[in-house]
Amino acid sequence: MSRSQAQTPARASRQWLAAQSREVRGYLSLAIAAGVVGGLATLAQLGLMAWLISAVVVHESALVTLWPYAAALAGAVIVRSLAQWLQETCGLEAGLRVKARVRAQVLDHLAALGPVSLAERHSAGSTAQLVDQVEALEGYIARYVPQATLAVVMPLIFLGVAFSLDWLAALFFLIAAPLIPLFMALIGMGAQRLNEQQFQAMTRLAGHFLDRVRGLTTLQLFGRTRQATEEVTAVADDYRRRNMKTLRVAFLSSAVLEFFASVSIAVIAIYIGFGLLGYIQFGPADQLTLFSGLFLLFMAPDFFQPLRLLAQHYHDRASALGAAEGLRALLAQTPPQGPRMAPLDSDDDTTPLRARLTEVSVTHTGRGRVLGPLDLDIADGEVVALVGPSGAGKSTLLQVLAGFVDAESGEVLLHAESRLAWLDQRPFLMQGTLAENLRLVAPEASDARLREALSAAQLGDLLAALPEGLDTFLGERGLGLSGGQASRLALARVFLSDAPLVLLDEPTASLDPDSERRVIEGLKQLAAQGRTLVIATHHPAVMAMADRVLRLEAGQLHSQDVPTSPEALS
Amino acid sequence: MKEPTIMKGSTIMKGSTRKALGPWLRLMAERRTRLLIGALLMLATLLFAIGLLTLSGWFITATALTGMTLAAGGAATLDVFTPGSGIRFFAVGRTAARYAERLYNHDTVLRLLADIRGRTFAGLSRLSGRELARYRAGEWLNRLTADIDALDNLYLRLLAPPLVGLLAILVVAGILALAMPALGGVLLAIMLPLWMIVTLGMAVAGRGPSARRVETLERLRVRALEHLQGLAELRTFGVLGTHREKVEHEQRALLDDQRRLGHRTALGNALVTLTVQGAAVAILCLALLAFAAGDISAPVASMLPLAVLALNEGLAMLPGAFVQLGATRTAAARLNAEAAVPASDDGETTLTSDEAPSLTFEAVTLRYPGMGTTPALEDVTLHVAAGERFAVLGPSGSGKSSLAQLVVRAFDPDAGSVQLDGQDLRRLAPQALRGRLAYLTQHTELFHASLADNLRLGLPVNHDLDEAAVERALWQALWIVDLDGWVRQLPHGLETWVGEAGRQLSGGQARRVALARVILRDAPLVLLDEPLAGLDATTAATVAERLDTWLDGRTALMFAHNCDALPLCDRALALHAAVKHAFAKGDASVLSDPRD
Repeated sequence: MSRSQAQTPARASRQWLAAQSREVRGYLSLAIAAGVVGGLATLAQLGLMAWLISAVVVHESALVTLWPYAAALAGAVIVRSLAQWLQETCGLEAGLRVKARVRAQVLDHLAALGPVSLAERHSAGSTAQLVDQVEALEGYIARYVPQATLAVVMPLIFLGVAFSLDWLAALFFLIAAPLIPLFMALIGMGAQRLNEQQFQAMTRLAGHFLDRVRGLTTLQLFGRTRQATEEVTAVADDYRRRNMKTLRVAFLSSAVLEFFASVSIAVIAIYIGFGLLGYIQFGPADQLTLFSGLFLLFMAPDFFQPLRLLAQHYHDRASALGAAEGLRALLAQTPPQGPRMAPLDSDDDTTPLRARLTEVSVTHTGRGRVLGPLDLDIADGEVVALVGPSGAGKSTLLQVLAGFVDAESGEVLLHAESRLAWLDQRPFLMQGTLAENLRLVAPEASDARLREALSAAQLGDLLAALPEGLDTFLGERGLGLSGGQASRLALARVFLSDAPLVLLDEPTASLDPDSERRVIEGLKQLAAQGRTLVIATHHPAVMAMADRVLRLEAGQLHSQDVPTSPEALS
Repeated sequence: MKEPTIMKGSTIMKGSTRKALGPWLRLMAERRTRLLIGALLMLATLLFAIGLLTLSGWFITATALTGMTLAAGGAATLDVFTPGSGIRFFAVGRTAARYAERLYNHDTVLRLLADIRGRTFAGLSRLSGRELARYRAGEWLNRLTADIDALDNLYLRLLAPPLVGLLAILVVAGILALAMPALGGVLLAIMLPLWMIVTLGMAVAGRGPSARRVETLERLRVRALEHLQGLAELRTFGVLGTHREKVEHEQRALLDDQRRLGHRTALGNALVTLTVQGAAVAILCLALLAFAAGDISAPVASMLPLAVLALNEGLAMLPGAFVQLGATRTAAARLNAEAAVPASDDGETTLTSDEAPSLTFEAVTLRYPGMGTTPALEDVTLHVAAGERFAVLGPSGSGKSSLAQLVVRAFDPDAGSVQLDGQDLRRLAPQALRGRLAYLTQHTELFHASLADNLRLGLPVNHDLDEAAVERALWQALWIVDLDGWVRQLPHGLETWVGEAGRQLSGGQARRVALARVILRDAPLVLLDEPLAGLDATTAATVAERLDTWLDGRTALMFAHNCDALPLCDRALALHAAVKHAFAKGDASVLSDPRD
């Protein structure tokens, strides 16, 4: 067993995130460099401020003579601001680039997995992965990753400066320094627990709310809306009461950090004060000056600032880890390869072949073998009807031809460069106009061709009835079109494409007799154009128009009926 | 090209912020004491931080000067214990205040969350079927959640921090003014414009992109969903790339807006640093000049810039919050638009007896919103006598459910009228009307609650049954739908939890629970849409037989694909999309009359 398999999912997610940050390491390094420059400028600013006070108060210099220092001070402030801007901008760019990259990757992968693999997942769930989970990566890359480095580097630099000023004061920082990993762990544990619990509880709470909104019609029908409103408020309030208990503990970790930061300032101030008064006789205390004392004091808050920022960004990390786990699992799925394209010659050289299946079998996990092993030759221009009870493998056979599902064994060959057209019971309609929906498959088609295709698909009278014609807007899920009309729109797409191989899965299912008749009329026209049609169907009228009717039972080709119209083959 | 969502977005963008956020601010104002205490705790945290740094600076300078005097052999005394304990007090106080502030304000936010959800739900529950049908589609629920989330944080991001920031500026200016009035004036002259820029200025800078970002994210979601749902066609037709380009286009638009917002936030943040640090340097120089002139002491001169530095903490979060104000406003405006639609429950509450009523459709035409010009029902006339059982048969989409929607006043007809006992339904308030009827919808809607809770929903709203009678009624209803045996053998019985949308139950079980719920209503008018759908033949026969008895003495309108899927009916009517128009006009459409 390889080590990568043995590791925990959390660790694998962390590694995946690290790999994503490596892709934008240029921007991230720049962000970190800017952060370090900003930190150094801050040190310079604080030092100069202490120096100015000391010079004026102790050495009684006139401020006018100190103008170069004042100018340097102003310069340090400007550099610090610019560096902060650069750090944020570079982090942002890194985050945006990672999002764009990962989203493209996920989009391509989902497409490669194909509709059959996707059917096992909820399409809304996959959309959420593509949109929300990818969004969740930004904060981590843009803010957390640079800050994680800065939270280690900056305190060390500050510590070095503090040592050169007064080692005993630096010791107070140093006492805090070994505690830094402890802080981080504390912050991490606290934030993680907080995040997990809040996330779970929030999800349940949101779930309750959405559940009631979804059932609003039922609540209205039973006259229970007032009761449900009270319930929504009560559940949210109950959530609050239970949540506050955990928050009381969870907030302690940040309180600890706050406490150390505050107490360090207090201890250093008091140590320096007593040292300056000469009350402290040991160590470097007698070397303290107003300059070094003030400088150390000024440094104290900024010593802890990177850690406090890291604590603020910690929830970015938690949500990115959650997202990474889902995305990693998705990207790990292997997509199907699809059929091989090769020039196909039939055995007797008379009829050219469109597709050849040799010993093809398909197995679904949990369902066993659903198709084959079977051999099948489909001639060019042939109309093949696939019949048989549901679950017999009709759809699977179409999916194998379309390349949505791989044959487990055997070989699927399509004649070189066979373009495909597909039509199933739930035609895909996008948000857009009628014309846009048609041009999707034929971007160059003229309006005239669109009208032609619509009338070939028996939608001419609908088009004539629409005041806005081809520019009529079809809403989400084709609102405004009946099932039959949607089927015929899908058929119009087939007419627009010049694909020689057309795969149709139950094109006439759940249509009223009139729509059914019109769709079959359209199919006949397609056949007349010399296209190869493979149709899974229950419908006698469709079987009647086929050259060959193949009966599938339990994945096996049981009988090959004699072509109903032998002349169609010649 | 028409893009309704975008048009809606741009009209919302033009609305004023006050109008959009107004209702929500008023809602929050009901908790004004809490909000005030929370803000004061925030301010206290900030003041403790200022106190800690300022006093420490004063202390170090004072001790340094005293130490120098002592070293030079001069006489000097300094009370070290008062400032020392002051420093410790501020250090501990800052920690305690911070902890209390976080806890208290989270409590507040959670209370506001309950308020906001309650209010939104109350608003939504007044929507008529017409509006609900329009919102039902697609991603509306997701959007609703996102919009509510945007308001949940209104107080912690946009209300308290700017107020606290402003107060902190005033307090620090006050401290400076105590030392030297001119310094306070200088600080106000620098910081007040900065405060305006990081609040109002950032809001204006982020207005366009942040409002647009909400819409773009939604469009990206729609395109992504299309891409996945249409994968079969897109792949086979070889146009995956063309549609992917559409998804990419939305993603680019989103990233561009996010980049714009990010750059503006970064600029705002850098501006805060530049101004606060610059102000500290300016105050330092002025204080040193004042010291040289003998106006203020050295310890005071060195503590003043420290007080200014501490302001950074109070202003640092503002640019990031305000640049997103446009998004919050868009969310609020959308919720207002959705939840504040005037209720359609006009009509007087006049109700006659509990007797089974007669039901009449008279020349009814109904058009659904967004369905174009094709009416769902056109010129339909139909009379169901009191106590009669009438079946409407036909394939889905033929308008069966529309008839039921009219009876429950989810919709009012565009032409014609629906009458109960000869009385136009529009004169009845929906609440009163729905108390008299029970409707099994085609779509089974169960709630994430116990079986008993789901069933109790069906009981008449103001029933006077005691616990035992309710229990008997529940079991009686379960017996009719032939689920009593199954429930009895469940480990938790009636208290068994029904999963989200009834997912723990099989389709047929969920359907029967919904039917039992309708039976419990014990109403004189019953509408049953596919009551036996998804049941196996044996169960269907049992349930049909028991329903048959139960239906005695009630007026019933039933809908199904064919007559076999229904209990016995007096008359049946075959409905067909193509002949919808024709059927309604005459008795000729009555295909079968089983009791003839």
